[in-house]
Amino acid sequence: MQILKHKTNFDFIGKRKPAIFISTLINLAIIVGIAAFGFNFGVDFAGGTVVELKFNHSISDTEVRDRAVKGGLHDVSVQNIGAKEDNAFLLRMGGVTQLTEENAAKAKTAIQGLGTITNIYPDLANGIINFRSATPLDAKTVRDTVVATGTGVQEVRELGESSSGHGFDYQVVASGMADKVREVLSQGQDTPDFEQRRVDYVGPQVGKQLRNRGIMALVYSMLAILIYVAFRFDFKFGPGALLAMIHDVVMVAGYYLVSRREFNLTSIAALLTIVGYSVNDTIVIYDRIREDMVKYKGKPLAEVINIAVNDTLGRTILTSGVTALSLIGLLIFGVGEIFDFAMAMLVGIVVGTYSSVYIASPLTIWLDERAAAKAARGGGIDRQQPKVA
Amino acid sequence: MDRGWWWKFGLIVAVTLGTIWFLIPTYYSLVVLDRDQRNNVAVLEQRLPSWAPPARYRLNLGLDLQGGIHMVMRVDTKTALQKRTERRGQQIASYVNDKKLGEVTADTDPELLQLTLTAKDPATMDAIEKEVLSAFGDFKRVSRSGGTLVLAPDESQTTRFREEAVDQAMLVIRRRIDKWGVAEVDVRKLGTDSIQISLPGRSNPEQAKELVGTTAQLEFRMVDDTNPQFFAQMYQQHPPPEGSNITLVQEGGFPQLSAPTREAILAYTKDKTPEGREVLTECIANPVKKNECSAYRSYLVEKNVPLTGESLAGADASLSNLNEPEVNIAFDAAGAREFEKLTEAGVGRRMAIVLDENVQTAPNINEKIGGGRARITMGRMGARSFNEWLGEAQTLALVLKAGALPAPVTVGEIRQVGASLGDELIKKGSMAALVGLALVVLFMAVYYRKSGLIADVALILNGLLILAGLAFFNATLTLPGIAGFVLTLGIAVDANVLINERIREELSHGKTARAAVDQGYDRAFWTIFDAHVTTLIAGFILFFTGTGPVRGFATTLIVGLLASLFTSIVVTRVITTYFVHGRNAARVSV
Repeated sequence: MQILKHKTNFDFIGKRKPAIFISTLINLAIIVGIAAFGFNFGVDFAGGTVVELKFNHSISDTEVRDRAVKGGLHDVSVQNIGAKEDNAFLLRMGGVTQLTEENAAKAKTAIQGLGTITNIYPDLANGIINFRSATPLDAKTVRDTVVATGTGVQEVRELGESSSGHGFDYQVVASGMADKVREVLSQGQDTPDFEQRRVDYVGPQVGKQLRNRGIMALVYSMLAILIYVAFRFDFKFGPGALLAMIHDVVMVAGYYLVSRREFNLTSIAALLTIVGYSVNDTIVIYDRIREDMVKYKGKPLAEVINIAVNDTLGRTILTSGVTALSLIGLLIFGVGEIFDFAMAMLVGIVVGTYSSVYIASPLTIWLDERAAAKAARGGGIDRQQPKVA
Repeated sequence: MDRGWWWKFGLIVAVTLGTIWFLIPTYYSLVVLDRDQRNNVAVLEQRLPSWAPPARYRLNLGLDLQGGIHMVMRVDTKTALQKRTERRGQQIASYVNDKKLGEVTADTDPELLQLTLTAKDPATMDAIEKEVLSAFGDFKRVSRSGGTLVLAPDESQTTRFREEAVDQAMLVIRRRIDKWGVAEVDVRKLGTDSIQISLPGRSNPEQAKELVGTTAQLEFRMVDDTNPQFFAQMYQQHPPPEGSNITLVQEGGFPQLSAPTREAILAYTKDKTPEGREVLTECIANPVKKNECSAYRSYLVEKNVPLTGESLAGADASLSNLNEPEVNIAFDAAGAREFEKLTEAGVGRRMAIVLDENVQTAPNINEKIGGGRARITMGRMGARSFNEWLGEAQTLALVLKAGALPAPVTVGEIRQVGASLGDELIKKGSMAALVGLALVVLFMAVYYRKSGLIADVALILNGLLILAGLAFFNATLTLPGIAGFVLTLGIAVDANVLINERIREELSHGKTARAAVDQGYDRAFWTIFDAHVTTLIAGFILFFTGTGPVRGFATTLIVGLLASLFTSIVVTRVITTYFVHGRNAARVSV
């Protein structure tokens, strides 16, 4: 069996200018789109709480939301996951602890009523209220006071007498959103009618850290690949490979932007895989170009590239096809993150194949032409001297 | 067939058999054992045939696949630093007053972490500033106006302090989880101020949060040695139940109970303890695996807690005049008075230092100790080396500090996956991988016929190699890991496609079957190599910079690419050579 029966002779390189123009346009649009609308960051990066619940009876998402809102969870989003009869829901909230700005203000006033309180400051990021009291306080009293204002308390820490002798330090640690969810939804029932299947709870600091590390991983690996390609091949091949990688990453980022799919750590893994795939594909074609440059000495580079791309066309289509085939299982059975990953990969395979031909190779021609022009202007005279054997 | 071929063929057979052999512990832990025994190395070790690899070489399932809790705790170094700045402020003030340089008061700004010294007489400030800055090198000047001097802790000092705070918190968390008795826990530092904890099989995040999130409780309590034979008598009068593994040991002249678990001792001594007394246990560290206990020993202590970590001002490990490791502890004023009273009454007795209800050490009180400074000499030499001994002193100092200067921890991240969800995910994940693999295998066989079948053999071996490789590195298979698995199979297919397309090309140029195969492999080799190496680079960087799921993905990718290099270049070539050279075939089926 063979996909392409006869040797093809498409003029890929001839169409490079409109192709680059369109690609650049789409890339710019995506970058502007990201700047304007941003990604739909998952809890991994944005911070927040996600709780997955599975009810043991039939219930609709509206009923779940009603229950939540009635209990005081206002900014909650409820999403049905899986089949309808699974009765499984994803609840998403912005905060990680029950210490919202509003709650903190109430708790602060209540604590100040306990006595002579100084240095009181809520740390919303960590869900903590720090304060100092002139007289020693009972931890239970502090806890009850805060709980009465509507904030669940995990622990009241007695940090001891301040060494400057100005009072006693305390720390109130608010409990997490997930507790609140369970409490609110099981209100008025002896045993909850649901199972808490998954809790993801990421603090804003950790989220920021995870995001930065993810992006750094992406940048580092692209740089390392650039260096490898520049050494292994020729300097003029390096930038092309890099630009193709960036092109593919932006395109896949565009998939996350347009589809509004959740952008999380797995998405970073997907982007990195695409970097790998894109460069894999670019390398195969580069390899052929290098080989053909030796074979067809004297032919202009553009023509050589055309021959190389046409020669490897069968393989390119086949490989992309087979890799896409291996993703079909993930697309059918993959749930949530895994489905998104497979979808992003599919986009990546298509644009990765395209970019090897239309982005990586033309840039090589351009760099080569520039080097040739420079050589012709002066620097190349030495090389044109006849060599003495 | 030449000799080189036979060598390679032998290698492939050996690798294949080795791979299958290596997957035996994984097969037992995932298929043969019940789910709740999956993480139990001891049970697995028992069930494995004697000729199988050790149980530790098995593929672990990630928390996302088997259920469990993943937590990241953030150490609130700011609060700890604030407390420290405050204490140093008081030290500076009393230093200035002692030296009769003038009279100052110290105040700490809790948010900016700055120390403000205010002199009663602004004229004395010049001398004070000079003296304080030279005597307290861990502070630097921020600003000064008349009689007010603002100081800030020195950067390098605070960095060290923060690191130490994280180490302390990690130590406390480890000991607490150990008390909980969870198998296969993983506690490690994450970044500069976070600690990552994995608790497989656990399902209650609230309980976990409470366990690791509370402040460490340090207590000084008197050991009841009025009847040194207490445990010996108990042991004789009520022999422990069969199979409880409780034994009687002599340590420093006092008989103690020893058992592999803490619960065994506590259950056995329950109801046998006199009024006002309590049995606590000490963890005897495993000499091989640090942070694990090889056994627990019993102590009879008074229930009364005369002194807690709140009275501690500091602790440090150092060497004595006799070059022996020792721990120096300092109490605040109130603590010093209490400590003096306690040691006066307790000369000749032992004092237990208890962290979170675990006895850390129980030094003998040699004399009444006044002035709030005490020294714990690490007296029990035993068979320990000097370094182990010093290490123990350092750990004890850390424990004391952890109880004394609480750097509170807060929950940065919790991910909990219920066991039922985990099962569903692993079912779907493996289904996805199998469907992907089946489609690819089928396609290759149809498209390349015999060469496709050869590629399929290589592909399946590749899959097994990845699993065995992950088992060898004791890696954890996660959901993104399964995705990485599928992807590497895709890359392996690409290598086979490259080779077969080359062979076809060579054949179309009119080459003989033999020449076409040889040329095809030779030419494709560097392409495959480059393609794999570049992706490997991405994989390694991912591994070293990534966290959690990204790392799991990277591990699979790296192992998969190495396996793919071997199978696509060596394995398929050896088989193809057999059909083309060995059979002297004139045609090659691609």
